[in-house]
Amino acid sequence: MDLPDGYTVFVKATCPTCQTVVPALTRLREQGADLTVITQDDPGFPAGLHPLDDTELRRSYEAGVEIVPTLLRVEGGRVTDTLCGWLRADWERVTGVAGLGEGLPEHSAGCGSRTLDPGMPERLAARYGGDILRSRRVELGELEDVFEAMDQRGWSDGLPLVPPTRERVLRMLEGTSRDPSEVVAVVPPDLVECTVEKVAINAVMAGCRPDYLPVVLTAVEAACTDEFNVHGLLATTWAAGPVVVVNGPIAERIGMNSGGNALGQGNRANATIGRALQLVVRNVGGGRPGGVDRAAHGNPGKYTFCFAEAERSSPWEALAVERGLPAGTSAVTLFAGSGVQPLSDQLSRTPESLARSYAACLQVVAHPKLVLTWDAMLVVSPEHARVFREAGWSKARLREELDGLLRRPGAELVRGAGGIAEGVPESLAGAELPKFRPGGLLIVHAGGTAGLFAAIIGGWASGAVGSEPVTREVRE
Amino acid sequence: MTTIELLDPTSERQPVTRERVARPATLEGLTVGLLDISKPRGDVFLDRLEELLSSRGVEVLRYRKPTFTKPAPADLRYEISVRCDAVVEALAD
Amino acid sequence: MTELEVRGLPAVFVASVEFVEAAAAQARALGFEPASVFVPHPIQDRTDDEMRALAEAAAGEVWAKLTI
Repeated sequence: MDLPDGYTVFVKATCPTCQTVVPALTRLREQGADLTVITQDDPGFPAGLHPLDDTELRRSYEAGVEIVPTLLRVEGGRVTDTLCGWLRADWERVTGVAGLGEGLPEHSAGCGSRTLDPGMPERLAARYGGDILRSRRVELGELEDVFEAMDQRGWSDGLPLVPPTRERVLRMLEGTSRDPSEVVAVVPPDLVECTVEKVAINAVMAGCRPDYLPVVLTAVEAACTDEFNVHGLLATTWAAGPVVVVNGPIAERIGMNSGGNALGQGNRANATIGRALQLVVRNVGGGRPGGVDRAAHGNPGKYTFCFAEAERSSPWEALAVERGLPAGTSAVTLFAGSGVQPLSDQLSRTPESLARSYAACLQVVAHPKLVLTWDAMLVVSPEHARVFREAGWSKARLREELDGLLRRPGAELVRGAGGIAEGVPESLAGAELPKFRPGGLLIVHAGGTAGLFAAIIGGWASGAVGSEPVTREVRE
Repeated sequence: MTTIELLDPTSERQPVTRERVARPATLEGLTVGLLDISKPRGDVFLDRLEELLSSRGVEVLRYRKPTFTKPAPADLRYEISVRCDAVVEALAD
Repeated sequence: MTELEVRGLPAVFVASVEFVEAAAAQARALGFEPASVFVPHPIQDRTDDEMRALAEAAAGEVWAKLTI
């Protein structure tokens, strides 16, 4: 902003310190100084000093004023001194006018500038902030209902969206320190460079709060890796979609649910983070049902599927830690999941018996005779976890037990065995086959404290044509 | 009412204006609905369009709004949308 | 009009030229411009023969806007 040489002082009438310094301003002008007084609220204040009316706050915004009164000394178009509040010694020094503050207190703190009133920064940024937002603007017709308009433009997953206005997007972007123009990921299927800003727009539409944005950004990054293969996941006829599991301090900080109904509805963070990821894939990547998405059935988790692991009460290390990150790291893990199959075991008191229940229910993921092709995630509730804790079983111990139990003779699994045409190739008849590939079974701890249940999230294909779970640290 | 401006959540590879629905290559073999909005003389206009279409072998179904002062009722719109492949709405003056 | 297009039905709207500005304004307001054919004004006092002639004159454009 262009400031005239001399002194510019920003004031507001409702600030007692600004009232106090009026005599000093009068003296400054009487001394012949080039003084510009800029008023934020009452154009008539200060009387007699011919202030400029900045009730629209453009000048205050552009000068970055945070406190009133603020005095700027300008020489050759450059600000050489900035004084916030009233400190007699400083004002006299900078203005070079001895006795400027005669009769006035030595100091007075000043007040907040109107530019920092609640909600004002985003509004002013939207009004004067120029083009930090680079996305195309979509102007709606004045008779259009904004919710119908978004739906008719194809932006929705079928549920209503929050309109992504400039102000909402700017507010969302405050949730991250990353630059809005930074490219987060290249999103399939259209292979579009997706910026922080585009993620923020979809996060607004999903209903996220700004403090969820870092988790959404990390989920998008993780989903768009080659290993996770979100393109393949989208294009498959199988029911799976991305599942986001959150670990670390950020989960609690943003109010995620890892307890009762963690995989269900009712928690805004869980619901909107998963949804934002889906909207990015749909809107930025161009992947939608009827288009690239060819799922035969899909599953309700394709609207949103995101939860936090219950770490405080867990007998085991966090999923992210098991997968290689340092303890206490905030992280997301992306898993290709196809819905929830709960399992009930209310009688097992020993870990051996409970593990057998788990194995019996895990064997049937996708099909009991199909092995090594599908992954799964086992969600152990606190009540079941207690059985393992009391027996001193680590997660590795449980896994070892399950590995032993999830083996079947090939003869049972081959095509035609048991009168079922489906199965593994006949060449495997003589082998003993594990249900899951190494690393194909993830185990997490979540759920309510009442319920002797666990839940199996069936996965998708693994390996080269499938998806590999991906864990990424959350960067704020 | 002020216009609302939204930020585009998409990759921006499609134009922003809402495109019209895809058109068929030809009307032959299709059913065309003629919707009379009930202003005077519109029926004569549509009668002639019906003759022209029928002489080409295009099937025509005739519809009429109860009154031109209000939008077509939902069940009329629904019926048109399921029984017709295209529609001509006439004649506003 | 828009309702039918929303349901996937190609639609053409026929109006007299008096309607040109109103149609444009409504298109802006609705964020959608339907396919329109405008015929000469006036309409209300035309004879049957004159209406049939208007229909014949407009027919080509109507078919064109209903097809690719």
